[in-house]
Amino acid sequence: MALIELRGVTKAYRRDAIEIPVLDDVSMNVDEGDFLGLMGPSGSGKSTLLNLLAGIDRPTRGAILIGGTDITKLGERALAGWRSRHIGFIFQLYNLIPVLTAYENVELPLLLTHLSRADRRDHVMTALDIVGLTERAKHYPRQLSGGQEQRVAIARAIVTDPTLLLADEPTGDLDAKSAADILSLLQRLNTEYKKTIVMVTHDPHAAERASHVVHLEKGTLISEVSA
Amino acid sequence: MKYIRLVLKSARRSKRRTVLTTLSVALAVFLFAALRAVLDGFTAVSQASSATRLVTIRSTSMIFSMPLSHGETIRSTPGVEDVTWANWFGGIYKDPKNFFGQFAIDPESYLRMYPEVLLTDGERSAFLADRTGCIVGDGLARKYGFKLDDRIVLQPGIPVYGTQDYTFTVRGIYRTASSAVDNQSMMFHWKYIDERSLVKGEVGWYVTRVANPDKAAQLATLIDQKFANSPYETKTDTEQAFSAQFVSMLGNLNLLLGSVALAVVLTTLFVAGNTMAMSVRERTTEIAVMRTLGFPSGTIFLLVVGEGLLVALVGGGLGAVIARTLVNGEALGLTGGFIPPFGVSNWNLAVGLALSAFIGIVAAVIPATMASRLKIVDALRRVA
Repeated sequence: MALIELRGVTKAYRRDAIEIPVLDDVSMNVDEGDFLGLMGPSGSGKSTLLNLLAGIDRPTRGAILIGGTDITKLGERALAGWRSRHIGFIFQLYNLIPVLTAYENVELPLLLTHLSRADRRDHVMTALDIVGLTERAKHYPRQLSGGQEQRVAIARAIVTDPTLLLADEPTGDLDAKSAADILSLLQRLNTEYKKTIVMVTHDPHAAERASHVVHLEKGTLISEVSA
Repeated sequence: MKYIRLVLKSARRSKRRTVLTTLSVALAVFLFAALRAVLDGFTAVSQASSATRLVTIRSTSMIFSMPLSHGETIRSTPGVEDVTWANWFGGIYKDPKNFFGQFAIDPESYLRMYPEVLLTDGERSAFLADRTGCIVGDGLARKYGFKLDDRIVLQPGIPVYGTQDYTFTVRGIYRTASSAVDNQSMMFHWKYIDERSLVKGEVGWYVTRVANPDKAAQLATLIDQKFANSPYETKTDTEQAFSAQFVSMLGNLNLLLGSVALAVVLTTLFVAGNTMAMSVRERTTEIAVMRTLGFPSGTIFLLVVGEGLLVALVGGGLGAVIARTLVNGEALGLTGGFIPPFGVSNWNLAVGLALSAFIGIVAAVIPATMASRLKIVDALRRVA
């Protein structure tokens, strides 16, 4: 069953009077429980597609249905609420809040829920346990390695148990060993916890971990490959 | 409540900047409270001034004196209950920097006229009986350590009083029952001064008690008419108007001090606003991340405003505490016989705190709007 349905999604940016196309009439489905790798050269539109799936950008045309909801029709406030419930986003540069501890960073999305402090604590410790960082809960980002920071970012992404995990080059800033660890963790989240993941990468080794890989070039979906 | 920790952590992001912003707000509130306290001191004099007392000075200026005979003329005016007089002595106590009010008075009539000057019966009798005796306000006594029977030597500051020092004995330390009289002055016998004055029988001003305060204005006109076309024409006003004129000699204080306070507050507002804007700009990515996590723009707006409010209120509280502790007209020796002891009132502290809250909110509104309107994708791209 398709969790994500893209129907004729087009995205163009306007610079002065010129319209620059980024995505051109992209249509595709992603099933629930898939681990999809999105590949393509720089400027191919893969990050833009990920941003559209995350609801942090809007398409020029087309519909994006996630779990049956057309997110292009949601207003700003509704979209923010939808993101907090359904999306876990993993950034290439981790983007942890430097003045918050690992625990507080992971707790951040839970502040938007009605959970009690004790329940929030349970959720945070579970997420940190999944990424193997419970002993680092009180550490600040500057006290963590790049790989550990990305694991905290993954814990933050999964703490609300979202419908969809989106990762934008999650290993792009890591050494080979840390990158392998992160990819293993994402694979585990997909197989063990049944998380649907869409991962943007330009690294073929990273893409190998995905169950499906699609290629984008100049904003057009050119192939779909089963891993 | 769950966002408080987030606001606190954000405020501590750049400790030096937060401390400096806090101090600038503290300074603004301190200055505001201090200036308001001075204005309140002047206002208190006018408000506490008696409606039944008239003050008569020379029509040209109060620095010129009048003959003692004016007193009897005033006393004979229908509607007048009592008359007293005084001179400004302007002496130097040890050092010209030791400035305080020194008044040569007619003791009996003056103490009758000003029941607000509180003395014990013993002190009153001792003062009346000693021609070289003096009384000092309890504030002045505290400041210079004057005690009963102490000798105070004043060097004349005005040529008409000669060049020889004047020695006084402290016969009483008075307290005040009203803001119309300050507790920072020294009073002594007019006769003692007059005897050694180069020009005898000169009076600085007369104070008249009227029987009917409703007719005070008419009586003032009547008194002045009695001296019209004489070499010593007079100008009579109610004590309240006289106090206001005295203050106005220092310029339009209300406007002056109010302008200074406004300038300080506006400057602080711009400083705080600029600081908040810098702080938000530095956090563009973090704000974009929070928006990505699902924080609504309204919540981001409130978090930034909350941070500005927190910093400003801490600064305001600090400024208020410092103002309350340090701003004391008596301790600072700022009253000098013109205004009663003043301090920072609870009302001024409350207004100061409200002002700091205003600074915090207004300074944060533009950066908060910037933060809440941030386009997530643009903000993430800016750093990535």
